[in-house]
Amino acid sequence: MEGVLWHLLASSRGGPTRVRILRALDDRPRNANELAERLDMDYTTIRHHLDVLLENNVVERSGDEYAAVYLCTDQVRANWDVVEEIFETVDGEGD
Amino acid sequence: MDVWLTAARLAAAANAVVLLGLGAVWLRNYRRHGASHTLALLVFAAFLLLENLLWLYFYVLHPDFIAWFEFSDPDVQVGVTMLCTLELVALAFVARVTLR
Repeated sequence: MEGVLWHLLASSRGGPTRVRILRALDDRPRNANELAERLDMDYTTIRHHLDVLLENNVVERSGDEYAAVYLCTDQVRANWDVVEEIFETVDGEGD
Repeated sequence: MDVWLTAARLAAAANAVVLLGLGAVWLRNYRRHGASHTLALLVFAAFLLLENLLWLYFYVLHPDFIAWFEFSDPDVQVGVTMLCTLELVALAFVARVTLR
């Protein structure tokens, strides 16, 4: 999981955006629309990054497809020290 | 006869292009936050790029190498061509998880 998190958040093209999404979801679970609004980003971009995070078991969907709320998985919670370390490393990027 | 040499040249050139794309992402991210994970990937891309430039030099500019290649048996030609072709497949998978 550690390597996956570093790659997804620090060493890939969409890393900075995914850091912002994960920070917002750490704050509280949100749906894609709320994330798009809060991060001032395009809805489809947010959905793309959420799909990447879903595929890698970083976030999970709760509720039905349309109004689904996204939250961090237990696996990521168990590795939250790594996430904190990545946030500190890439600091100054998100909000 | 020339098919394998052409394929080898194309594969080495494609590797270089993919590595430049990956290297650009990793360089930009590394300059932004300096993570050692990103630096390792950047160094990885730099050395693989050098490797492919060396292959291109042999495939395109080195008359002795080209002569050796063309007079070699097909199994050698295919084998040498596979070196860069298989690397291209491997890099495609890395690119898939890095460029999105």
